Formats: sequence, C-alpha cells, structure tokens
Amino acid sequence: MRMRKLTLLLFICSISVSANTFVKGSPATTNNDDSCDIAVLPAATLLLPYFEVDFNSPQTTAMTTLFTIVNTVQQPQIAHVTIWTDWGFPVLDFNLFLTGYDVQAINLYDIFGPRGTIAPPYGTTNEIETGLRSLDNDANPNFIAASAANCAQLPGPIPVRILNDMRTAVTTGIYDYSCGRNVTIGGKHRNAAGYVTIDVLSDCTLTLPTQPDYYKELLYDNVLTGDYMWISPNSTTGNYAGANPLVHIRAIPEGGPAGVVTATELPRTFYGQYNPPANQAADRRQPLPSTFAARFIQGGPGAFNTHYVIWREGLTGANAACNDYARNGSSEMSVRSVIRFDEHENPTTLASSCLPLYCPNLTLPATSSTETGAALFPLISNSGDLGGWTSFDLSHSAANRSQNWVVVSMSAEGRYSVAFDALALSNGCQ
Amino acid sequence: MRTALLLATILFTAAAHATTIRNDDSCDIATMPAATLLLPYFEVDFNSPARTARTTLFSVINTSRSPQIARVTLWTDWAYPVLTFNIFLTGYDVQSINLYDILGPSGTITLQDRNVGSSSLPNDANPLFLPSAADACAQLPGVLPASFLNDVRSMLTTGRVASCGSSHLGGIHVNAIGFVTIDLVATCGITMPNDIHYYDELLYDNVIGGDWEIVDPNPVTGNYAGGNPLVHIRAIPSGGPAGVATETNLPYTFYDHYTPHQDRNTARMDRRQPLPSTFVARFIQGGTGAFNTNFAIWREGLTGASAACSAYSRNNGFDMVAIEAVRFDEHENPTVNSSEVRISAYQKTYVIFPSASSTPTSAGTFPPLSSSGDVGGWMYLNLANSSTGRPSQNWVVSIMQAEGRYQTAFDATPLGNGCSSTQAYTTNRPYPPVIGPAPNITP
Repeated sequence: MRMRKLTLLLFICSISVSANTFVKGSPATTNNDDSCDIAVLPAATLLLPYFEVDFNSPQTTAMTTLFTIVNTVQQPQIAHVTIWTDWGFPVLDFNLFLTGYDVQAINLYDIFGPRGTIAPPYGTTNEIETGLRSLDNDANPNFIAASAANCAQLPGPIPVRILNDMRTAVTTGIYDYSCGRNVTIGGKHRNAAGYVTIDVLSDCTLTLPTQPDYYKELLYDNVLTGDYMWISPNSTTGNYAGANPLVHIRAIPEGGPAGVVTATELPRTFYGQYNPPANQAADRRQPLPSTFAARFIQGGPGAFNTHYVIWREGLTGANAACNDYARNGSSEMSVRSVIRFDEHENPTTLASSCLPLYCPNLTLPATSSTETGAALFPLISNSGDLGGWTSFDLSHSAANRSQNWVVVSMSAEGRYSVAFDALALSNGCQ
Repeated sequence: MRTALLLATILFTAAAHATTIRNDDSCDIATMPAATLLLPYFEVDFNSPARTARTTLFSVINTSRSPQIARVTLWTDWAYPVLTFNIFLTGYDVQSINLYDILGPSGTITLQDRNVGSSSLPNDANPLFLPSAADACAQLPGVLPASFLNDVRSMLTTGRVASCGSSHLGGIHVNAIGFVTIDLVATCGITMPNDIHYYDELLYDNVIGGDWEIVDPNPVTGNYAGGNPLVHIRAIPSGGPAGVATETNLPYTFYDHYTPHQDRNTARMDRRQPLPSTFVARFIQGGTGAFNTNFAIWREGLTGASAACSAYSRNNGFDMVAIEAVRFDEHENPTVNSSEVRISAYQKTYVIFPSASSTPTSAGTFPPLSSSGDVGGWMYLNLANSSTGRPSQNWVVSIMQAEGRYQTAFDATPLGNGCSSTQAYTTNRPYPPVIGPAPNITP
C-alpha cells in the first residue's frame, strides 16, 4: 500500500515536470525563466552596458544618459544601482525603493552634473504612498527586517568631495577616495563613461557586487524591466537621441529568500567572478554571450556612421585591490576574433588589416563606444561598400568564454540616431 | 522508501531548475538568429519626394556561410498579404531594403549582386534548397509593373483593390501602413504565408537576423529616425528539409492559423515560436516641446488560410478586442478607460487595434492620464483577444519623439513568453488576478 502511494507520488511528480518540460523533442521547456536566452522579459538584474555624461557642459548641450526602471509587480522591490568605471571598478552605489508598479527614471547628468543629486529622496524611499493597485511597502516577504529602517532614508545630494572623486574616477581613472592618486581604475576621456548594474535586493545597504557579502542580500525575483536613452542635445556634435531596452538578466531558478544556496543548471553566471568561492553561482543570473553579429554603415560626413558599444566581463574578482583594475583595460582583455563583411561578403580580419608598421590587436576594456572606422577594427574592404556587418567572438581566449554585450549605435546628419542590440549568435551557456 | 523520496526530490528539483541551456530550445523571444523575422509596423509616404518622405527600411543578415532564400511578404494593417518577393542571400550576405524604393516613384526592388565572398559557400551549396531553386532564383525582382504597383499602393492606403470588389483589406490612411514578414524558404516562389502550400517551402534554420528603421526626414513633421531589431522568431526544433511535419513541443506557432491542420504536427508545421500577449510599455506624454509616445502594435489576425476578401474586416473588428489596458503614472496611480469601470452591462470602451498600428498614447483608445499631473509612466497591455481560443500573439514597440530632433524606438517588455497562458482581466482589488509577470511554470 505504501509502495503504491509512493508510485502515485512519483507519477504526480513526473507530470509536474512533463507538463511544461519535455523528455524529448524541442523546445525542452515552455516555461518562463527556464532557459539561457537573454530576452527582454522581467528580470532580476538589468545592465546598462555603456553610459556617457558630459558633466562640464550646461544641460542644454550636455550629452547624457538616462535609464528608467519599472517594477512589474504589486509587491515593493529594492533596486540596487551600481555605477562602474569603464574598467569595471564600482564607484557609486545607491538604492531605489520601488513601490508596487513603480517607475523610476534616473538622469545620470543629475548625479555627475552640477546638481550632484541622486533622485529626490521622497521619490525613492519606503515612506512614499503606494498606488491603488500596489501592496503596502512592507509587503515583500523577502525583505529582511532591517530594510524598514534602512530604506527610510535614501539618496539625495552627494557630498562635494565624493562627487569630485567620482567625477575624476569616471574621466581620468583616479579615485582618490578609495585608491589614492597613483592608481588608475578607469580610462581617460573627456566625458564620464562606464556602465551600470541594477539588482533586486532584500535590504537597502551599500554592499557592492564585488563583495561576497552582496550575495547574502541579493534576491531572485524576475520583476524589473527598463530602458535607457543616450541624448546628445548639442546641435553641433549631436542633436539626436537613441534608446534601447536595458539588458535583462534573469535569475534561474527564480524566487526565494536572500542568502540561501539554491542549485542552478547554469554553467556560469553573470556575477560568477564575484561570487563567494564556496558557491560560484550564488547569483543565479544568466550569463551573457560572447559571439555577436553587428551591422554597420560607415558612410562618412553627411551619411550614417556607426559606433559599436561593447560591454565586456572584466578579469578582476571579488575584493580586488585597486591596482588590479588596470587588467580590465589592458592587453589581457584581448578579443578572440573579429571579421568584417562588406555588402559583397568580402571578409577582412585584423590579420588582413596589418599595415607595414602597425598590426591591430583588438583589446577592449569593460565598456567602450568605438567608431567602426577606428583602426582598432579590421579595415573595410576595398570594394567601395560603406556598409555590412561584423562577426565578433569577444571571448578573452579559447579557454575563457567571457561574457559580453554589443549595441549598434548609428547616427547621421545631426538629426538621425538609432541604437539597437546586436544579434547574439549563441546564448551565454554555450 | 528513501530512494523513492530522493527520486521525487530530484524530479521536483528538475522542474525548478533551468531545464535547458541549449540554443533554440525555449519559447523566449530573443535577438538571436532566427528562421522568421517580423517588422511589426511600417509606414511609407510614397507621395512625397524622398528628401521629405517618411519611410521604413530593414536589413537582413545571413549569419551562415551557406546561401539562404528569404521570402519577404508585405501585409496590410488588416493582415492581407499584398506583395511577396525573394531575397537570395549568399553566405554571410547582408541586404537592406528601403520600402520607399518599392512603394515610391521608382517602384523597384533593388538587391545586391550574388557574387560570393571568399568565406562563403557557393550559391548552390545549400542542400535544403529545392531542385527548382536554381532556375526560380535566377530571375529575382526588379521594377514592379505599374498597374500592380498601383494596386499595392491602393491596398496599403485605402484597403481596396478591384479584385476584391467592395471588401476592405486594410484601413484608410494617407501613408502606406502594414507589416512585413521575412521567412527562410527552400525556393524562390511567390506563394504567401496564408496559402497552406507555403509550408511545403518553409525552412527551419535559425540563421537570419536583422533590424529596421523608421526615418522621417521632413523637418516640419519629423526630422528624426528610430531603429530597433526585427522580431526574431526561431524555428524549434531547428533544421531539416521543407515540407516535413516534424513534432514540436510548442503549444501553437506563429503561423498557426495558416498552417494545414490535418493533425497536431501539420498544425504546427512552421515550428515558429509564438509571440506573447501581455506587455509593459513605457510612455512619456509631455505635449508640445517634450517627449511624446506612440505605441506601434502588431497583432495576430483572425483570418485563416485562403480567407475570402470579405473576411479581412474581422482583423479590425469586434473580434480583435483586447482584454485590457491599464495606465500607471509615476506615482503608481492606475487609470483604465472610464467605462471599463462597468456601471452598466452595456457601457464599455473597447480597446481594439488592427494587425498593425501606431497610436499616440494620448489617443482615447488608451486609458487617460491620471489627475496627478504626471506626464510619464507605463502601460500594461493585455492584447489577447477573446476569439482565438488561446492567447493571441502580439508585439509592442514604444516610439518616443521630441522637439523635431529626437526619436527613439524600443521593444516593450513582454510579461511572459508566447507559450504562457492567457492572463485574466484584472481589477483594482489587490488579489488575483493581478498584473505581473506570467507564472514561471506554464499552467
């Protein structure tokens, strides 16, 4: 009798699996949040792969980057925002308390520019009133008890000294606040440049993703969505805008409290390099892919021209020393292969682009935006074509299938600009 | 006993984990090489000169070294297919099409030559091509005959064509409006997706990708451009020859209502992933001098294979009523169309969109702005219709523009994949059904 009950139990279990996942045939699953594919679907982590902010110019002409986050569920959420340099060093983090169905926009010019302010505090704390369809601000059972107090006071003006240090960190790579003046943790460029990650968390703390303790606070609910915009209002150098969804990185399996080790079938994860050694998949975030097909038009003055915006996983691990971050902007960040095809399918490679005194060897830091006409990329063929596409394998090496993301940004005539994700040729698990 | 419990644990655990790490093995719509590409909305002002005419362009890349044939079909906004042509893609080819070239004064479909690159295989090196492909693909499109071009223009602007008498096949608008599908096929023919014989030619290799741009060069009405990836719809399982009905675990498919329905396998013969029905779409509705938003919405029609001309009005009719739209402002205040607060069984504002449309978020079709003064927020769109017997398929693009110089276009976020079940109508009550992502496990 007991055996029969067990058989029945097993049979029920089998049905619970086979109703949505399949022993044979394809797809293996029709469930949500059950694959390695990076899709625009509610996620537990959002990645803004590249930002650029001209904080020295007045707002009327300053290039800036904005992003918006939406909480798609009725429960409140805590979105932990981390701003990284272009060499993958985290310079600033803050929390946005999202009431149920909340939407919160952040203009990075507000942070780096003269205001030096993270969103107005009254808009991002758990003190705010909820909407008619939203649950109360304490109605997320995955929040830890301390969050009630910790989320009551959220960001506002940034102290001047920290703001100045942040500005130098994202423009010169010098971050006196943490690293002194002799170590660089980012590249040199006129405008602030870097990338942003946004994670669902169980508390409003200032732990960084580079610290193993972060993975005791991280949550796994795929509930956030968002987009970003690059706006270039200067009528001489820009006069246009481009936008794209943020990269939506889902937790698989999703759900459950923070700090609990749950197995995942993902072979590696987005934050794998920072996870505690005892559980290198603690974040359960989908990994990003390494191979892409990215279209370009390189028409010269008066025509469309293209930048490739490329985010790359860095080499530094948890709690890395400041002087380690140079690795994320060094020749160690080489690219495995780049092939450019023109409109007549003529391929050019880095090897075929060697000049007598120069042979390009593509290395790209953790984030960058580079004109396709730059000498870094294979030369365009001599067919006369001005367009085509580029095949990227952005792995660091054959042995290191690192994570990457590519966005195609085209602009023309001081009035047209488009931005769209390049085609990923594989998911991040393959 | 212990073994049995362990087994049960393993089975439950397996259900909770990522059950596939393979490519092309889920219902998720991702920007990855696909077998079908959808341009969800196009608009072309073919009456104006090119320097001021709004137009739509798209590009298709063959990511494989084998040659491929892409069958392009232009549909009206009521999902009537008006024009089809083939793009022969050599290995690693890229082809761009400006719809103004086709619908404008030149009426020409211009494609690149077929010389292969040094990394590409020869043009006869795709073993899945039908024997007829060599001859059929030798002559590909050029200039459209004038009378045919006029018919195409008429169908895309007035919905009328002489061969369909008084029946409407599309809406009435100054500009040509519709959507485009691009499918991988085994030969160069002119069969269209609404013909069951199309599925004898369809191929299943996930190898093509692409993007689209809406360009509005008129400095008075536009002066900007927006671009986005095409919707990449993969064949699952991928591969294999044309005309073979291979089993798929997809519950239904993108071309489901056109495929032969002799049995389960033929009904899903296209093996294309289905598109979802619920979306989160952000808006800014700032008025003059600020950002304003249009939602470009593609919706699966109701007409089946070889439908009569008179049937296409259903694709803009009462049967296309969407389940609901809820607008949230920046303070999470929800609004619905006023008469959706049902004070009478007879009073209700229906949310109806045809198969392809672009509608300002300020239009009365959508719920009004709240009284908070906020001009931005997001909208929940449950676009499933009640006539399909399963969640109907949809796609939403949020297009924002401002100041005669900024335009952006990006996909709205689906709240589930296309295999998720229908989400029920929600209310202001905080208990189920509520707005949110579809369940992790498909019911």
